[in-house]
Amino acid sequence: MRLVLTVNGATHEVDPPPSASLLSVLRDDLGLTGTRFGCGSGQCGSCYVIADGRAVASCLMPARQAAEREITTIEGLAQGDHLHPVQEAFVAEDAMQCGYCTSGMIISAAALLARDAAPDDAAIRDALAGNLCRCGVYGRAIKAIKRAAYTRGVAGGSPPAITRGVAGGSAPAMNR
Amino acid sequence: MNLEERIRVEPDGSLTAFSGKIEFGQGIRTAFAQLVANELDVPVERVRVVLGDTDEVPFDFGTFGSNSIAQEAPALRRAAAFARRTLIDRAAARLGLPAKRLDTKDGTIGDGDGKRVTYAELVQDSPLTGAIPDDEPLLPEGRWRHIGTPLSRVEARDIVTGRARYTADVRLEGLARGAIARPPVRGARATRVDERAARAMPGVIAVVHDGDVIGVVAEREDQARAAADALDIDWDTPKAEASSTQVVPLREDAGTDAAIASAKLTRSATYTLPSIASASIGPSAAVVDVRGDGATVYAGTHRPFGLRDTVADRVGLPRERVRVQAQMSSGTYGRSSAPDVSIEAAVLSKHASRPVLVQWTRAEEFAYSPNRPEAVLEVAAGLDGEGRIAAWRYDEHTNVHTAAGPDPRVAAMTSGRNAVPPYRIPHAKVVLHVEPTPLRTANFRSLAAAENVFAIESFVDELAHASGQDPLAFRLRHVDDARLRRVMERVAEVSEFGTKVPERRGRGFACTEYHGTYVAQVAEVEVSASGAVRVLRIWCVIDPGLVVNPDGVRNQTEGGIQQSASWTLLEELRHKGGRVATTSWDTYPIATFRDAPESIEVLVEGDASAPSTGVGEPGAVPTAAAIANAVFAACGARVRDVPLTRERVRKATQPA
Repeated sequence: MRLVLTVNGATHEVDPPPSASLLSVLRDDLGLTGTRFGCGSGQCGSCYVIADGRAVASCLMPARQAAEREITTIEGLAQGDHLHPVQEAFVAEDAMQCGYCTSGMIISAAALLARDAAPDDAAIRDALAGNLCRCGVYGRAIKAIKRAAYTRGVAGGSPPAITRGVAGGSAPAMNR
Repeated sequence: MNLEERIRVEPDGSLTAFSGKIEFGQGIRTAFAQLVANELDVPVERVRVVLGDTDEVPFDFGTFGSNSIAQEAPALRRAAAFARRTLIDRAAARLGLPAKRLDTKDGTIGDGDGKRVTYAELVQDSPLTGAIPDDEPLLPEGRWRHIGTPLSRVEARDIVTGRARYTADVRLEGLARGAIARPPVRGARATRVDERAARAMPGVIAVVHDGDVIGVVAEREDQARAAADALDIDWDTPKAEASSTQVVPLREDAGTDAAIASAKLTRSATYTLPSIASASIGPSAAVVDVRGDGATVYAGTHRPFGLRDTVADRVGLPRERVRVQAQMSSGTYGRSSAPDVSIEAAVLSKHASRPVLVQWTRAEEFAYSPNRPEAVLEVAAGLDGEGRIAAWRYDEHTNVHTAAGPDPRVAAMTSGRNAVPPYRIPHAKVVLHVEPTPLRTANFRSLAAAENVFAIESFVDELAHASGQDPLAFRLRHVDDARLRRVMERVAEVSEFGTKVPERRGRGFACTEYHGTYVAQVAEVEVSASGAVRVLRIWCVIDPGLVVNPDGVRNQTEGGIQQSASWTLLEELRHKGGRVATTSWDTYPIATFRDAPESIEVLVEGDASAPSTGVGEPGAVPTAAAIANAVFAACGARVRDVPLTRERVRKATQPA
C-alpha cells in the first residue's frame, strides 16, 4: 500500500502492508526509532507522537490514517542543536531514569504546552495520565514541565527553584 | 588487573573506561564517568564509559544487589589514579622536571604556569599500561572536582531527543523479526508442530522448531507474529516434578521460644505480599546475529558474561566466539537476569541465517516473565518488663528469588535478604522456607528485602503501639548502629514526625539497612471513609557512604519510593490454572501521573568516611511499611496484606 507521510516537516513515500500501524512505519520503514513500542494497545504512552497538534498513540493509528495528518515525532522537536524547551527542562531536572518512556512524556508535554501555556499541577497530571513510567520519575517530570512553561516565557515569574520533591496539586487516591 | 583493561587514554587525550556493569537507568554510567574524571582531573565530557561489552570489559558476575558503585568505584578510582601517576612520570621525563613538581589540570600536566604537556602528547608513542597497584594513592579530597557534584545523566540529551538506542532499536543489515509460539502452560512440550500454513504466509523466512524454541522468522514483525499464530501445535503437559521446601535457618538462638512464652507482653501477626510483575515499560527484547563462526548478542541483560555462555552453549558455539553487547534497556528491575529472549533470538537467527530481533508483546511480558514471588511472613515477639524486645520468632515462606533457580548456597542472601531485623534482640529465631511453585519467579528489585522489611517494620510498629510507646523511640531503643540511628533521627526531624496532623491523616515510619546503605522514611497519607488511601508526602533520608552524584542518588531513591508506593497500593499479579491472568495495563495497573504523591523529599546525607554503597534498591525497601504504618495512624486500620486495597483498609478500620 503506497502512502505519502508528512513526518517532522518532510514527506516520505512508504509501502507498508495495509494493516501497518503508524508506529511500525516510523520505526521500521523510516528508521525513526525514538518513538518506542510499549504495549501496542494505547495504554502506556511510549509511542506517542503529535498528530495535527494532539498527542496520540501511534501504535493504534493506522499508517494510512496518518497520511492525512502532520506528524511530529520526538526526533522532530529540536531545531538542529537547539532543544525544545520541554527537552531542555527534562535534562535540567534530570527527569528520567531508563528513559524508555521519556519520548512519549515529552511529546505529551509539548502538546500540552502548545494549548495551555501555563498548566498547573492538576492539568499536567491529567495531560500525562496516559504516560506510564515504571522507574517513577513523575515528580521530576512535573517539575520539568513547569520549568519549560517558564522558560518559554509565557508563564510569569521566574523558573521554579531546583528544590526537592514536587509542589502542590491535587493527587487522587492511589489504591483501588 | 592491568590498566588498559580498565582505562584507556585515547590518542586525542580523551579517556575510555571499561566496566562489566550495565546501565538500566540507575545512572552508573554517569557516576563512573565522574569517578574517572575526578581522579584524572578532566571534565566529565572527556570520559566515555563502555559497559557490558564482553569483548571489551573485564569479567563481571552481574549487575544486581545495588552493588555497582560499591564494587566498581574503588577499582575505577585506583585505575584512574594509577593512570594519572603514570602520565605525570612520563611528563617529568619529557619536560625534564621532577615528577613531584608537576600537577594535572584539565587533561594537561605542567609546573605552574610554565610549559605544559597534554595527555594526548604523552600517549602518542606508546599506550599506557602496567599492573594497577592495590594500594595506589587516590587524589586528596581537596582536589576533587566531580565526586559529590550533582550531575544530570550523561545520556540525558540522547534520551530527550530520541537518539538513544535501546535493544529494539538496533538495526543491522538484513535484520529480520522473530515471534515465538508459546505453550498454554509453563513446561508444556510440543508433540506435533504443523508448519505448513505458517510457511506459506507472506514474509516468512523460516519456521523454527528447535528444542523448546518454536517460532517464526519473517521480514516484518506483524508477519512473524501472524505466522507464529498460524502454527498448529499439539502440547503435552508433563506432570510437575515433585520438589520439596528448602528450610534455611538464618538465625537460631537457643531459648527463643521459651523467652517468648515467658515474656511480659506477647504479640504475633502474619503479613502477606502477592506476586508482582517487574512491569517494564519496554517489553523484553534481543537482537542476535548468529553467523557460522560466531555470534553477537545485543540485549539488555544483568549478566553479560553469563548470557554469553548461555547463548554459546545453546547454539553450539565456543564461548569466546560469542560477544554480548549490553544495550540501553528499559528498566527491568532484575527481570533481565533471565536469558529467555536472547536465547529465542539466537535460536531463530541460527536457523534463519539472518540477524533476528525478538521483542515480546505486552501480554507475553506479563504472562511469561519471571515475577517477584509471593511471601507469607509469620512473626511473634515478646517484650520484657521494660518494654524492650526480649525475643523474636520469624518464619518467612516464599519461593525462589533468582533466575538461576533454587540454590541452597545463595538462599539466605537472596530469598532471605533482610529477614533478620536490624534491631538488638537477645533471643531470635529467623527461618526461611523456600517453597516450590509452578509459577515462574525470579529476581526483582531488592529480592526479598521489600517483603521482609514490610513485615518487620509493620510488626515493630504494632509492638510499639501495643506497649504504649512512640514508634520511633521504640525502634531507637533497639538500634546500636550509629549510621542507622542518624538517618532515623534526621528523617523524624525534617518531617517533624510526631507533630499533629489533620483529621483522617496519619504518618508512618520505617527504616532499613540494605547492603550497607541506610534509609529511613516517613509517609503521610490521607484515608477516606471508603478506604481510599492517598499518599500525600514521603520524606526520606539516605546514607550511602561517600556520595558520587547526589542528584543521581536522589533520583534513584525518589523512583524507588514511587515504584514501591505503586506495589503497595495497587499491584497484584493474579493467576488462574497455572497461568498469569493479569496480562495488560488494564488488569495490572501501576501508578500513573495522577497517583504520584504531592512530594517525595529525599535528603542525601552520606557518610563521606564510609565506602560508597548502592542506591538502586534501598529507597524502595521501607516504603510499604511506612505507608501501612501511616494508614494505621490515620484511621486505626492495621492492614497486613499488600496491596492495601480500599476494601482491606475499610474492613480493618476500627470504629472510632
